[in-house]
Amino acid sequence: MNGWTAAGTALLLCGFAPAACGVATGRARRRVPAQNVATTFLSLVFLLLSQGFARPAYVDTALMLSVLGPAGTLLFVRLLADQLADHPPGQRWLRVLTAVNYVAVAAVVLPLCVATGPGRAMVKLLVIGVLLALGCRVATRAVQAAAAMGHGRGAPAEGMSDDR
Amino acid sequence: MTGELPVLLGLLLVAAAGTGAVLVRDPVRQSFVLSLLGLSLATLFLLLQAPDVALSQLAVGSALTPLMVLLSVRKVRRKARSERREERE
Repeated sequence: MNGWTAAGTALLLCGFAPAACGVATGRARRRVPAQNVATTFLSLVFLLLSQGFARPAYVDTALMLSVLGPAGTLLFVRLLADQLADHPPGQRWLRVLTAVNYVAVAAVVLPLCVATGPGRAMVKLLVIGVLLALGCRVATRAVQAAAAMGHGRGAPAEGMSDDR
Repeated sequence: MTGELPVLLGLLLVAAAGTGAVLVRDPVRQSFVLSLLGLSLATLFLLLQAPDVALSQLAVGSALTPLMVLLSVRKVRRKARSERREERE
């Protein structure tokens, strides 16, 4: 096991596992942002493992997850908008999560870029990093918009907020 | 032994997510755990050197399964609500 694989395993254990606990427990206001953080961390784990196994083809899984992760979060936000509006997540907490996401992406992608060296692979890594950061931004904005929609709203018109 | 640690961790994640998906009874909450299970399975496939399987698992697990579950729950609840309204009228 080399350093990259060890870093990937550590991120899986210390980053993805706590985020997964957040996804599995609590209300929607905690689960939805935690789901986004979990996919971001997992994408970074895939990048580290790809470097650790010396298999550049594994980067494709990270690329796919960087697109699908925010898409999944937007899906949850859209279908659980009522729950998010009834119990909106704290703005400060969302900001902290976004900052953690940005720092983690920078802390993983930049060393990987240095290790890869200039070339096509580095551009791909940078694209994945930008996609991850953008996805986090978009998902946070969507959660904030869903929470803001709850103000001044009467009885829930649709969605899944009944019997809860 | 240290070389097997990531695979062991992946297996543990899959076991925990699978058990959680069975134990959670509410379908909406279950959709979150199912998406976690999909992500854990994709990690395990990648650790077992099968990135192509991991790719398809990611597509199915992280977006499609929760979409199906949540849409079904939404439809069922909407139908139940309209039936209740009809009964009241």
